[in-house]
Amino acid sequence: MLEGKAVIGETDMLQTMQQDALNLASKALDFFDVTEATDIARFIKKEFDRTHGPGWQCIVGTDFGSFVTHCCGCFIYFCIGSLAILLFRGSPPP
Amino acid sequence: MSEDAKKNIAGALTARPNSDDQKLSPLPSPAPAVPPKKVIIKSADMIPDMQKEAVDIAVAAFEKYNVEKDVAEQIKKEFDKRHGPTWHCIVGRNFGSYVTHETNHFVYFYLDQKAVLLFKSG
Repeated sequence: MLEGKAVIGETDMLQTMQQDALNLASKALDFFDVTEATDIARFIKKEFDRTHGPGWQCIVGTDFGSFVTHCCGCFIYFCIGSLAILLFRGSPPP
Repeated sequence: MSEDAKKNIAGALTARPNSDDQKLSPLPSPAPAVPPKKVIIKSADMIPDMQKEAVDIAVAAFEKYNVEKDVAEQIKKEFDKRHGPTWHCIVGRNFGSYVTHETNHFVYFYLDQKAVLLFKSG
């Protein structure tokens, strides 16, 4: 069950792709409990790899900091309910 | 801008023959330890020397910074410098992740209560 409206913290992503991410997170929370952070991360990453090409990374949790490098147009950090979610695509291989 | 766009397209189309999916979860934190910091390698696909380097850099970063993002930044940038781009680092008490990393370039460890995830991708 969705615990609340999603709030976007930071993003570098097309509106439609942002919406995809938020929808997937909401769907994931229907399937998984908020304590199953890894399953939620896997669900979101796998779907993005499938629909937007490979190379996505996903971090889910209530307490973390990060520093990453991402492709242009492929980054979003948002909160949904009690969880923070970071989704980005790492740099493509040279 | 067009160069970035091209880069993205290339990224989307390029296969990643050397990458593996790696799943991991935070486990219950170990009991608080007295100094020196308690190190527990939870999962690794990385040569031992590089693992030790990661731990040493993390220990130094935790001593220098209080904010997790700053610790992550220090670790990631040091590895980008020493071992080439592109590394990613996550630091925190509670998170799960699902990432794709290059073979032999992944480590997940605990320093006392804090988990550190460091991996190379792209």
